[in-house]
Amino acid sequence: MGLGSRLSDRRTAYLFLLPLLVFISLFIVIPVLGTIWTSLFRDVTYLETAFALFGNYRRLLADASFWQSMKFTLLFVAVCIPLELFLGMVFALILNEKLPGRGVLRAAVLVPWAIPTIVAARTWELIYNYSYGLANWALALFHVASGPVNWLGTPLSSFGALVIADVWKTTPFVTIILLAGLQTIPEQIYEQARVDGTTFHQRFFRITLPILRPVIAVALIFRTIDTIRILDLIYVITGGGPGGSTTSLSLYGYKFFNEGDFGYGSAIAVVVFLMAFVLSITYLRVGGFRGAVE
Amino acid sequence: MKRLITAALVAAALIMSCAGDGDRSSPVTLMIGGAPAELDYWEKVIGDFTRETGIAVDLMRQPTDTDQRRQSLVVPLRAGEEDPDVFLMDIVWIGQFAASGWLEPLDGRIAGDGFNLNVFFQGIIEFADRYEGHVVAMPVYVDAGLLYYRKDIFQEHLTGKVPETWPELVEYCRVAQRSERRLHPDFWGFVWQGAQYEGLVCTFMEFALSNGGQLIDRNGNLTLDDPRNIEALEFMRDLIVTHKVSPPNTYTEMKEEEVRTFFESGQALFERNWPYAWGLHQAEGSPVKDRVGIALLPRFEGGRHAATLGGWHIGMSRSSDRKQDAWRLMQYIVSEPVQTGFALNLGWNPARQDVYNSPEIVENLPHLVALKEVFRTASPRPNLPYYSLLSRALQAELNKALSGMATAEEALKSAQAQGLEIMATYEE
Amino acid sequence: MSEKLIKRVLLAAGIVFMLIFCLTPFIYMIVVSVSGNPSFLSGSVDFSATLANYRDVITVKSLRFLTYLKNSIVIGGIVAVTVGGIAALSAYAVSRIEFRGRVWVPLAVLAFSMFPQISIVGYLYKLMRAAGLINTYPALILPYIAWTAPLAFYILLSYMMQIPRDFDDAAFVDGAGRFTIFRKIIVPVAMPGIVSAMLLVFIAAFNEFLFALMLTSDHKARTIPVGIALFEGLHGEVPWGYIMAASAIATFPLVVMSLYFQKFVIQDVTRGALKG
Repeated sequence: MGLGSRLSDRRTAYLFLLPLLVFISLFIVIPVLGTIWTSLFRDVTYLETAFALFGNYRRLLADASFWQSMKFTLLFVAVCIPLELFLGMVFALILNEKLPGRGVLRAAVLVPWAIPTIVAARTWELIYNYSYGLANWALALFHVASGPVNWLGTPLSSFGALVIADVWKTTPFVTIILLAGLQTIPEQIYEQARVDGTTFHQRFFRITLPILRPVIAVALIFRTIDTIRILDLIYVITGGGPGGSTTSLSLYGYKFFNEGDFGYGSAIAVVVFLMAFVLSITYLRVGGFRGAVE
Repeated sequence: MKRLITAALVAAALIMSCAGDGDRSSPVTLMIGGAPAELDYWEKVIGDFTRETGIAVDLMRQPTDTDQRRQSLVVPLRAGEEDPDVFLMDIVWIGQFAASGWLEPLDGRIAGDGFNLNVFFQGIIEFADRYEGHVVAMPVYVDAGLLYYRKDIFQEHLTGKVPETWPELVEYCRVAQRSERRLHPDFWGFVWQGAQYEGLVCTFMEFALSNGGQLIDRNGNLTLDDPRNIEALEFMRDLIVTHKVSPPNTYTEMKEEEVRTFFESGQALFERNWPYAWGLHQAEGSPVKDRVGIALLPRFEGGRHAATLGGWHIGMSRSSDRKQDAWRLMQYIVSEPVQTGFALNLGWNPARQDVYNSPEIVENLPHLVALKEVFRTASPRPNLPYYSLLSRALQAELNKALSGMATAEEALKSAQAQGLEIMATYEE
Repeated sequence: MSEKLIKRVLLAAGIVFMLIFCLTPFIYMIVVSVSGNPSFLSGSVDFSATLANYRDVITVKSLRFLTYLKNSIVIGGIVAVTVGGIAALSAYAVSRIEFRGRVWVPLAVLAFSMFPQISIVGYLYKLMRAAGLINTYPALILPYIAWTAPLAFYILLSYMMQIPRDFDDAAFVDGAGRFTIFRKIIVPVAMPGIVSAMLLVFIAAFNEFLFALMLTSDHKARTIPVGIALFEGLHGEVPWGYIMAASAIATFPLVVMSLYFQKFVIQDVTRGALKG
């Protein structure tokens, strides 16, 4: 390799990594370790703190509401992520084309992501309003439904409503990441392939997708982590209802923190972390990161 | 290499230079939340206070959302911080805050200054502001559930007498809906808060208590599945599904504001809401201005009129470093002139009985005088440290019953079971 | 020939769908922000156009909207630039240099970023309190950097992994050191990735809510999301007009920035030329 002495090279690496590691250690690692520690205690503000080891976790296993939020969260992730990926890919492909006004299109696509989540949630809340929301008005306008839909009235329709809102909000994020990846593919490869007589289908699946694998993995990982932790959107639009059917894990944990049961809330946070961790490792394997890095 | 270090130092210096206004000062800090207009009025109040006493006060503003306000208090209080010194609490948090040891007992100071507690509604002090015998908070304003009705529709179609019982109310709604719907197809008889949140428990309590039921009995035992509660809950569902006098989105969307705006647009005959709605109904440009009356919420046969007690109270942090001055601020805030000011400017209902007799109030807010009786007899929610957990379980079950996902009996039995579990987990 | 036509039609349809999908709620937001009463769609109230909401949001002092906007932009900017720098450096190191623990760094960075914010905020509060930083810019800047760096790191890592090592090797032959290679060769090539990452980080910092709520106590350091949340009234009165007007104004700098930075993200990468 001939890149200077191995030792000084390694030192350079550590130096480059230092700022990132310092920030993460101070402001994330320490609080996270603290959270894990707290989850091992019965830590309620108005009771004596006592070491409980896995007491909180045992309580979680028996907690029906916990399992309901777990089910909801997993289902939500399973439905939203593929939709975001699909739409993100479509949008990225469109934006990759040389079109007039490309800059404006890209800015337009960014809009959902640029709006603060709280605001977006409120807007969707208004859209789904039974009496004067945009959704029911549009349905009436296009004569699609027989009457106004009680969007937030049943678990199923609330679920759908939340999926639409979340996919709308986060597709731009996926689009940007995928687009940056698409940009690195030189036009020559496609030219060559076209000359060789391939169809768009083949070009996409045999050339584009494999090259994009790591980028897709990044998008998948971050979207999954974020969706597993989803809180703001649900809090504003449905508040976890109806009947607690749309309570995500984070929302469930948030309520315990608010009520002073920090031990239980921390245990829920740890569970969320474990789930995100397992899923991410899977993606990393699939995305070929290990191979590339080694 | 050198460049890197220089760059890092420059960056660090830049960041640190932004740290100009650290929160190192120590005036008395007061943490409150509310709409911008309310917060502005608070600025004026503490400005007056500083002028009178020379004590500087810092206002810590929080958003209105209850959960966020509580979170903003729980974090510093749990960490034992000296700020905030004084803060407002929702009446249902007092149990939790007191049991967590965050509230400074006030008896000593009350006695020392000769402060007379009798000036407040006694029920409130006894049921809400005491913990293990000590007074730990004082009420800043009171709230109770009321029945609003359209006077004009009454005169047109009905006997003109306010319904005394719930079945009577249903009849009135039916009659009104028949005639009003010709002009307003979206007219409903009775709008109330049925969405899954704390407000649902307040509403439920009013139905249940007015049927002779109760959530907790005198000995502290949980009685959620009392048959009279079940009847009341069935009645609530009937309003939507059988009698069809309440809209289908009652249990999905109807909270205070949704109810208020619906009634205010002229599309309802009755409204269950807190006193704050009155001022808005009477504001310029309101479609129902001067057409609204207030009454006690109806009761069931053999029951009594019931209203859920709400409101905000003021407390002092045990970790405060300015207790003497904080106490003076608290006294100032609950003093007669300041309370009168809150009533006149913000529409807040005072917890002090003497304010109701003041000439200004009698002249400008005559309806308030009529409410005095309601406040005096309003029923508080259980004052337990883990009340919100209990409420959450109850909210979910109540909402299930309203939406038809469970029968009233199933819902309350399930709530009772969950409630007992919660009690077992969280009682020492 | 017909494949081109099909492609054109699909493209046009795709663009239309994309625009409708992304912009409809936003347009709705704007419409509500200029309306006197948000319930105009129900037919019970007429739509009345007014700019009062915008005027109030900007001029009413108690709303302090412009202060929040300034705070958000400054904090977001500092975070984005800092994260861009440190993430690029770290991504470079991991993608290029052999060192012990090389495989573990991405994993660890990722793992620690997976915790829900709510569980971390308590400790962050204590930390900031101890440092006397509550309600200052650093109180938000520092956690935001830590919070958004993993994202930028991963974007840049996957980006840099695709840049062939030959680039580095060629420069080494010429006697350049690691940092020079990084600065003069890698950064320009990775610019689209860096800019995309910075943009996403800026938006994330701009729109973050929970930390901003808990670590600040008034307008000195508060950001837009908390500011807008403060618009709510006591009983949940939601001044839709104000909120939508404020949001429209807040979204504006973000859209402008995206438009401006387009040219960095658009890169007609003709790798062939670079290779030579």
